[in-house]
Amino acid sequence: MSRIFILTPLIVLFIICIFSLVYLLSGKDPNKPPSALLNKDVPIFESISLYNSKEIIKTNDIKNKKTLINFFASWCSPCKIEHPLFFEIRKKYPELYLLGFNHKDPTSDAKKYLEDDGNPYDFVGVDADGLIALEFGVFGLPETYLINENGKIIFKFMGPITEDILENEIEPLL
Amino acid sequence: MSSLVGFLSLVFAIGINFYLFISRYIFKFQKQKFNLLIRFSSLLTLLSFFSLMYAYVISDFSNYNVFQNSHSNKPLIYKISGTWGNHEGSMLLWLSILSIFSFFFSFTKNIDESFRRLTLIIQSLLHILFGLFIVFTSNPFLVNSILVDEGLGLNPILQDPGLAIHPPILYGGYVGYSIVFSIAIAGLFQNTDDEWLYVAKKWSLISWTFLTGGIALGSYWAYYELGWGGWWFWDPVENISLMPWIAGLALVHSLMMVRGEQAIKKWIVFLSILCFSLSVFGTFLVRSGILTSVHSFAADASRGIFILLIFFIVTGFGFLVFLLKEPKKSNALNLLFINKVSALVINNILMIIATLTILLGTIYPIIIEVLYNKRISVGGPYFNATVIPIMIPGFLLMSIAPILSWQTNKIQSSKKYVLSFIILSILVLIQSYFLDFNTWGFVGLLLGFWIILASTIAIFSSYKIKFTIKFFQIINPHIAHIGVGIAIIGITCSSVFQNELDFNLNEGDKFNVNGKTVLFEEIETTNQINFQALRGKFLFDVEKNQSKKIEAGKNYYPVSKMITSEAGILHQWNKDIYFILGDQKNNEWFVKVLINPFVSFIWLGVIIMMYSGLVAVSKR
Repeated sequence: MSRIFILTPLIVLFIICIFSLVYLLSGKDPNKPPSALLNKDVPIFESISLYNSKEIIKTNDIKNKKTLINFFASWCSPCKIEHPLFFEIRKKYPELYLLGFNHKDPTSDAKKYLEDDGNPYDFVGVDADGLIALEFGVFGLPETYLINENGKIIFKFMGPITEDILENEIEPLL
Repeated sequence: MSSLVGFLSLVFAIGINFYLFISRYIFKFQKQKFNLLIRFSSLLTLLSFFSLMYAYVISDFSNYNVFQNSHSNKPLIYKISGTWGNHEGSMLLWLSILSIFSFFFSFTKNIDESFRRLTLIIQSLLHILFGLFIVFTSNPFLVNSILVDEGLGLNPILQDPGLAIHPPILYGGYVGYSIVFSIAIAGLFQNTDDEWLYVAKKWSLISWTFLTGGIALGSYWAYYELGWGGWWFWDPVENISLMPWIAGLALVHSLMMVRGEQAIKKWIVFLSILCFSLSVFGTFLVRSGILTSVHSFAADASRGIFILLIFFIVTGFGFLVFLLKEPKKSNALNLLFINKVSALVINNILMIIATLTILLGTIYPIIIEVLYNKRISVGGPYFNATVIPIMIPGFLLMSIAPILSWQTNKIQSSKKYVLSFIILSILVLIQSYFLDFNTWGFVGLLLGFWIILASTIAIFSSYKIKFTIKFFQIINPHIAHIGVGIAIIGITCSSVFQNELDFNLNEGDKFNVNGKTVLFEEIETTNQINFQALRGKFLFDVEKNQSKKIEAGKNYYPVSKMITSEAGILHQWNKDIYFILGDQKNNEWFVKVLINPFVSFIWLGVIIMMYSGLVAVSKR
């Protein structure tokens, strides 16, 4: 009887260690939580263009085409790191619609940023008050979403995307 | 240069410990030489730590760690605290504190020589494990491969005086349990007399006091820095520190009560192993990046696996020794319906259930994610609904436990207690009736006041009041419990009776808080050495001459491009008035005011508990 009591801590230790080990080895990354939005419809949004306040983009405008949505800002340094990759994507997949959302940024700063580093996006939407990011459940910048032709979110990534992620996780979906 | 010194002394220190460890099985050192080597390796570890600190102080960006985590613009104190404001440095701090404990333990007298040596050998083993972890996965002395003249800065929320000292104090608690662990294991191996229990008691009290201080500092920091108006969020990292704290509390109480009963001795060994295991488990969860919070600096799977291995070895070794070498002869406990021993047993059972409940809530999300690939979070509602009810009977018992007898069911002058409990209940009920009645508020207040009252009655009726050191040592358990009572009142009031007011204001507006007029004077932005400050200035109680100034706002740290919120708090003895400046919309500022009654009681209670911890250390 008392033997079982004394064995319990060891058994509990084993269980905890096995779960932790599986967790660590499965490459689960806190930066990549399984999104509640995954495989859900893209949230309804409406945004004006950074360059022309009369030009408006809505959820319906990206239906029927594969779209990569990227939240960025001029003040976000990791965004700068991933920025060149979008040109690569652009070159490799001209069919893909690249939609950038400029997040909580003064217009002038955003324009200067895209002038200096180049503008890979088909459309740059303004998300000045962060409400669109809220709809998407953006945790922090940058964040990237892939939407399929049916308007479903099929991929989400928090933080700057890298060559690795592009190759192994995004490209298979394209 | 300092990086090289630091790295070499670290490697050398690990080498000495390794030498000590293997030499145990080859040849015996003389006492003098053994002590000398242990102390020398401790000093080397400290030298390594101070070399890193020196690199931070002089902003030596040729060190990669300094480059990543510091900036020449930072005030000196944050350069120093930057040493442990990152993963690598904090692990080195961990190891340094382990060395400090070994160093001081090597001076312990009145203890069997071979026992003392075995304890230190186990400490050496821990030093080796964590030292290798640092060298192979978290080396803070890497050379920066690019030439730079500026660093990348320190996480701004860590730039706070409270937080600068929070990690060393908290680690004092976590790592302090290592010595208790080593003592217990050595006790199992040698199992001679009970002298080691008294040594273990001192060290577990020291660790527990440090842990209390560390948790309180972290909690206080969260209270005024995070700007959420609360001081405890059941955040996984908080839970991790709470588990060894509760287990440590159980340990301290068991050690107070031990009178040679083998069953309690067994239990003490179990708790000693458990406390340190929980500390290492906490280190694992935070350092592996499994839990993301302000505490996790970087996620790296190899680190996680390494430290999981250490956790497995240490805990597995501990419990295995416990299994194989358990104290054999067992004489029965003197359990009565209500005496000291039965109170102790109940108290321990409750504390362990509470610890396990927190453990379950903390690891549950990991299990669920592994099994179902779903991310869930277990938060306040679970813990409030489980842990608090488990603790309540313990609190009730606590009020009378110190005056219970060892041998009989009798309680001295029990009528006095029953009568005062009834009067107190009626008073609190009346008070609750006139304020808005809340069940938890009623229970909390009654418990808190009852503990204070019962402890006070016990002091006055059981002892002669004298102002000598000995007297304070004797009444110390009651004082500790009064501290808990005060903290319970603070916790109850500040959580149950918190009041929240929201305003949209222009500069120059007057508004009403708690019957006092407050003037929103102006918004001011200033440039500080390493951040820009935006402050809303408020004048509290403008109609009086002695109106108080409150500043609430945000800081913007250009180096790391982060914004932190800075709550403005007006401290009064019976309440904190807590101002949070929100965003500006349509030229109006959003201002949130929280009235937190009796928050200061929490900190007062904690200070009393820590005082009691120290007094208990001084007691033989």
